[in-house]
Amino acid sequence: MIPENFIQSNLQGISFIGPELILTLAILLILLVGVLLPYWRHRILFTILAVAGLAGSVLPLWKLPQPAPDLTYLSNLFVWDWLTFLSKPFFAVVGVLTILLTQVTGEIDNSEYSECTILVLAVTMGMMLLVASTDLLMIYLAFETMGILSYLLVGIRARDERSGEAALKYVLYGAFTSGTMLFGFSLLFGLAGSTDLLAISQKVAFASQHPQDRLLLIVAILFFLAGLLFKTASFPFHFWCPDVYEGAPTPITAFLSVGPKAAGFVLFIRLFYPLFATGHDATIYEAVSGLDWPSILALVSAITMTLGNLAAIHQNNLKRLLAYSSIAHAGYLLMGIVSLSDLGLRSVVFYLVVYLFMNVGAFAVVAMVASAGGSEEIDSYRGLGARAPYVCVAMAIFLFSLIGLPPFAGFVGKVYLFAAVIYKKIYWLAVVAALNTVISLYYYLRIVKAMFLEKPTETIQIQVPLSSRVLLLALLVPTLGLGIYWQPLARVVSGMF
Amino acid sequence: MNSLYTYLFLAALLFSLGIFGVFQRRSLIGMLIAIELMLNGASINFMAFNRFLAPDPIVGQIYTLFIMGIAAAEAAIALSIIVAVFRRLRSINIERAQELRG
Amino acid sequence: MQPILDGLTLSPWEPGLFSLAIYGLMVLGLVSLLLFFASWLGEKKSNPEKLRPYESGIIPTGSARLRYPVPFFLVAIFFLIFDVEAAYIFSWAISYDSLGWAGWLQISFFIFVLLLGLLYIWKKGGLEWGPTSKQD
Repeated sequence: MIPENFIQSNLQGISFIGPELILTLAILLILLVGVLLPYWRHRILFTILAVAGLAGSVLPLWKLPQPAPDLTYLSNLFVWDWLTFLSKPFFAVVGVLTILLTQVTGEIDNSEYSECTILVLAVTMGMMLLVASTDLLMIYLAFETMGILSYLLVGIRARDERSGEAALKYVLYGAFTSGTMLFGFSLLFGLAGSTDLLAISQKVAFASQHPQDRLLLIVAILFFLAGLLFKTASFPFHFWCPDVYEGAPTPITAFLSVGPKAAGFVLFIRLFYPLFATGHDATIYEAVSGLDWPSILALVSAITMTLGNLAAIHQNNLKRLLAYSSIAHAGYLLMGIVSLSDLGLRSVVFYLVVYLFMNVGAFAVVAMVASAGGSEEIDSYRGLGARAPYVCVAMAIFLFSLIGLPPFAGFVGKVYLFAAVIYKKIYWLAVVAALNTVISLYYYLRIVKAMFLEKPTETIQIQVPLSSRVLLLALLVPTLGLGIYWQPLARVVSGMF
Repeated sequence: MNSLYTYLFLAALLFSLGIFGVFQRRSLIGMLIAIELMLNGASINFMAFNRFLAPDPIVGQIYTLFIMGIAAAEAAIALSIIVAVFRRLRSINIERAQELRG
Repeated sequence: MQPILDGLTLSPWEPGLFSLAIYGLMVLGLVSLLLFFASWLGEKKSNPEKLRPYESGIIPTGSARLRYPVPFFLVAIFFLIFDVEAAYIFSWAISYDSLGWAGWLQISFFIFVLLLGLLYIWKKGGLEWGPTSKQD
């Protein structure tokens, strides 16, 4: 099963995991500084080290050869294609935004700050490894690197009761679903006799024609769908999401809502060809493996978005509301997977990029208001528009983008997703998604109404420091810019599949 | 007893015991043990498939070795979170953890 | 890495599995029978005197459930992690010859990271044990 472009030398292959190696060095450095130089434990030092590590991790990408769909390295464990190439900077950006957000909000104590940056870097490294893996072993290892360390991130404020409880729920559900996924992997290994995704895809295509293997295949796919749906917070495995997002420190919530979720969707795309569809080179895909996967996933998608949106209506805590909104967005993103087409996969990647900026933006505003003396409850946002106009206008823009209103980036992303579904003539799903957008309008606008139309309960001005304003600006520019001038991103994304 | 299906049966039994344990146990340590049972079920599957169906490459054995490492890391982190929560709640019963809801 | 399963069909009848299943059923049946008879035929009358733990005639004081001190859990967790890492070093050691210097460098880095971890828990006070340790 060795592809033509296989890079034989492991020494040469190591240069391809340059980003991960640089992140590892940054992690070890922060660990050493944090332990050996206790008088140097200033937040700004760790922030600079971590951001430098993340920025440095992107640099080797430009030195490497042109990505190709079947360029594998390090004994076939990884593949160097466009998805890998573009995902690594994506996750680096997620990490940088998270660390800057922790720096400006001060929700994490000084005594835990160096550990927090280490964990963010390590989870980012896990996600970078995950998106490049083409081997079940490497996928599992990277998946758990990402998962286990994010349990710790959620519980990093261990003295806080809610943080501990959220971590507890996350670790139990997470370990359960990853164990289920592992069992699915073991069955797939038995079916194919190999852990290589290429070999598995050939075997799956063969097995789906044979009734005696088909049952095993269906069971295996069901088992590891558990792991994928858990990480993306989709329907049967979504219930951890509101508790964990509410209990975790807000910057970490922002990180979890885009990082592991995006990694889950990229893994969906990675496993898409081997397990769900055939037709690698043509634009026509067919579902494999006996069951009608597109219909099942379409049902999951519809239930996920409806459930998320309906539950969000009654929420008064903003973090919890945004958690349910992120469940609903997982439903929208699944639409792209359901459509079994290049257009669908492209629209998923496009939407993930857009979602990164608007969702981190919304959580950033929540964190900033909470650290400037407000609270996470929607009541404390009454009349905030007069007390902190800049932050509130930013929040309104992020929320409008999350709804998918025209001049903002979320609109373009949603149009692509709808187009993918309509192109495949799955009209009922498009109708459900449109209805859901209308429902979501209600609770997003409730926040906007509270901020601008209701009378404030206090009159004190909320002071947001300059660093926070700059960070918000950095998030606003892509949210607005990609809504007006999205062609470059669309062109990059359409080169991927 | 030297057949693939014996081991597959054993693995499936361990895995189902694990799933049953996760749902039935109220104690956090019990749930953790049940999750370890699930991982061990998958490990036995890997070893058995490796021995009977793909004996030449040792990838199944390597996989099992890594599962051991991951399981230890998972158990260590889950235990430390449980200890941290125990200091607050004075109980390892899952039903006491009910601060977050709605 | 060739798929070897091609010719295999899942046969429902397999002597090894069958005898194991029969054996398992017999064990289950016997155990449940014994438990059932024990609970059905035995007489149950409980009062506080009867439920009290028997400690050679002395009336017990306090709860029998002593809490382990937290350092005990910490040491257990550290042992769990460092113990399992030894498995990787062993598997490197048995294939030492074929791995060569590249393998040596990799395992050296691995052990270096492990030592860093040890240094971390040492400096953080995870190894302090006994009355001199900081109480929190």
